[in-house]
Amino acid sequence: MSAPAPEGKRLHPASLIVRWLKLVPQMLAGGIGLAASASHEGIRRFILFAMVAALAGALFALISWWRFRYTIGPGEIAIEKGVIKRQRRVIPFDRVQDVAIERGLIARLFGTARVRIETGGAAKDEGELDMVALGDAHALRDRVRLGARAETAEMATPAAEPVLFALDVPRLLLSGLFGFSLVFLAAIGAVVQQLDQFDLVDWDQWFTAERAEAASHLVTLQIVLILGVLIVLAGMVGGVVRTVLRDFGFRLTRTEAGLRRRRGLFTLSEVVIPLRRTQAALIDSGLIGRAFGWYRLSFQTLGADRKEGGVQIAAPLARMDEILLILAEAGFSAPPPRDAFRGGPRRALLRWAAPWLALALAAAVGAWLFDLRAAIAAIAFVLLGLAAMLHWRVHCHSADTDALYVSRGLLKRRLAILPYEKTQIIAVSRGPLQRGLALASIAVDTAGAPPMRGIRLVHLDSGEADAGADRLHAAFLAARAALKAGGGRG
Amino acid sequence: MQPDGTGDESSAMTPLDPAHAAVLRIRFGLVAAAAILVALVAMSQRALAALPVPAWLLPAIVLAAGLVATLIVPVRRYRAWGYREGEDEIEIRRGRLIRVRTIVPFGRVQHIDVALGPIQRMFGLGTLILHTAGTQGASVPLPGLRVADAEQMRDRIRAKIRQDLV
Repeated sequence: MSAPAPEGKRLHPASLIVRWLKLVPQMLAGGIGLAASASHEGIRRFILFAMVAALAGALFALISWWRFRYTIGPGEIAIEKGVIKRQRRVIPFDRVQDVAIERGLIARLFGTARVRIETGGAAKDEGELDMVALGDAHALRDRVRLGARAETAEMATPAAEPVLFALDVPRLLLSGLFGFSLVFLAAIGAVVQQLDQFDLVDWDQWFTAERAEAASHLVTLQIVLILGVLIVLAGMVGGVVRTVLRDFGFRLTRTEAGLRRRRGLFTLSEVVIPLRRTQAALIDSGLIGRAFGWYRLSFQTLGADRKEGGVQIAAPLARMDEILLILAEAGFSAPPPRDAFRGGPRRALLRWAAPWLALALAAAVGAWLFDLRAAIAAIAFVLLGLAAMLHWRVHCHSADTDALYVSRGLLKRRLAILPYEKTQIIAVSRGPLQRGLALASIAVDTAGAPPMRGIRLVHLDSGEADAGADRLHAAFLAARAALKAGGGRG
Repeated sequence: MQPDGTGDESSAMTPLDPAHAAVLRIRFGLVAAAAILVALVAMSQRALAALPVPAWLLPAIVLAAGLVATLIVPVRRYRAWGYREGEDEIEIRRGRLIRVRTIVPFGRVQHIDVALGPIQRMFGLGTLILHTAGTQGASVPLPGLRVADAEQMRDRIRAKIRQDLV
């Protein structure tokens, strides 16, 4: 191990170009506004502003590159940055939970990568090294991974890691079909709105009453049908394109500390899901996918990518036996058979449907008093109430010696596997209606739980909920004691 | 149908210091006073005179709501609270409309605060706040403790956490 250079390293020079490219559009956006405000000299001002912006951007990029240094010490990495306000951040290796390497298209052109060091803290860009040479990135990752433990056993090449899951091309395409996405329709909408904003297209002139009248003759059932089919096709293509871009070459391998996930067509990303930090396993499925036996496995982790709310996908489209294999590898117990699951009592049906039935009642009164059309809403609410009653059938849970299993969701279903030792807070709550029906809900808080989608067992029998909460707490204590006896720390 | 399972069991729970009700009363009273003031100012505005209701209606409604909030709500809220300090956990009950029973294992507490609000300080009360690493309701407050009790509790829990780490 060579002694680290005392003065630290700078980022790869290519990051200058990238940073500059990123800065200019931001400045241009301001320039467009400025140009638009001055109507006659618009173009000339715009060009002038663009030149100034480009120059200022280049200067700023150069200075901030010059002022950015990182130093890899024996047990920590220090990052210094800031042009006016200097900031020095020291991240000890044993606090690092994850080192993610991401390579965008430009980064690949220059043979560089972006390294993100996650510590599970709240700051968004704790330790981001945007663009270092790829070799440096791998070296840095290996250093951090080894961390405080001064062992070199993990120097083995990534190719030697056993592959737990891989997405071949047919399955990638299938996964794309399930990922039906109308995101680019939204993008078109956004572009149209932008055009409108800059007065490049005037909708009031373009969309006139006469044109609407003329168009209304053209609209036939066939055209509507064709449009519908086109939109569905567009959604499918959109889903496939998005999925292929993101998940191309998806591979999940086993490393010493966790599961390594690699994916991406243009932007290659590499993330390690550290098993020690994994809080819960989530098996998701959609209505159609489930009918054909396809599921998605993700892990809720502490120090995960904040964009995905602490949830990392481990297998986007997999058979249950493949998922069980990954679960076993990750130290999670397999979900028990269906008949081991239990739900709430029959009277909970009332609680599930109650909010919708109340709305239906209100709409019915409205229909009677004011407008008969409100009856449509009333019928819709009744149907929603019936759908909510189906939730009662679907929402169930099971508990074995290792973990709590909670299944929820009518169309999109999620089975959460929560090992007892990962419990944070257990709360039993009772609303007014629940008290009337002697029902209660249990919420089990975990670290890194996605907002609003935590683990909840709703509308259980009141007494059972209290007993269940106490059992969960006892199981937590027992699991912790077992862990401590085993020398680990959860 | 089975018994409710909340009301009767709370006999095993320690209630908060009775002065907590007074703290709540002052807190709500201040908010109510401010709301009445706003309503009175609004009453004198010209725009409101155009409405077909008498101008005093708004302040009257606010006054009524304020009286309920200061006279009735604080006691009910106070009674809803309770806690039980166990060997490995603390159990806290609260809430009137939605009743919540929270179990916080000491092994999960990341850090502990004792917060003293300005009104609380007048009565020598404080709030014990237990922070965990969770994301939903990760900080559990327990208000209405005598400051000395809160600090003792904090020290006891801290000692247990330290034990847990060994």
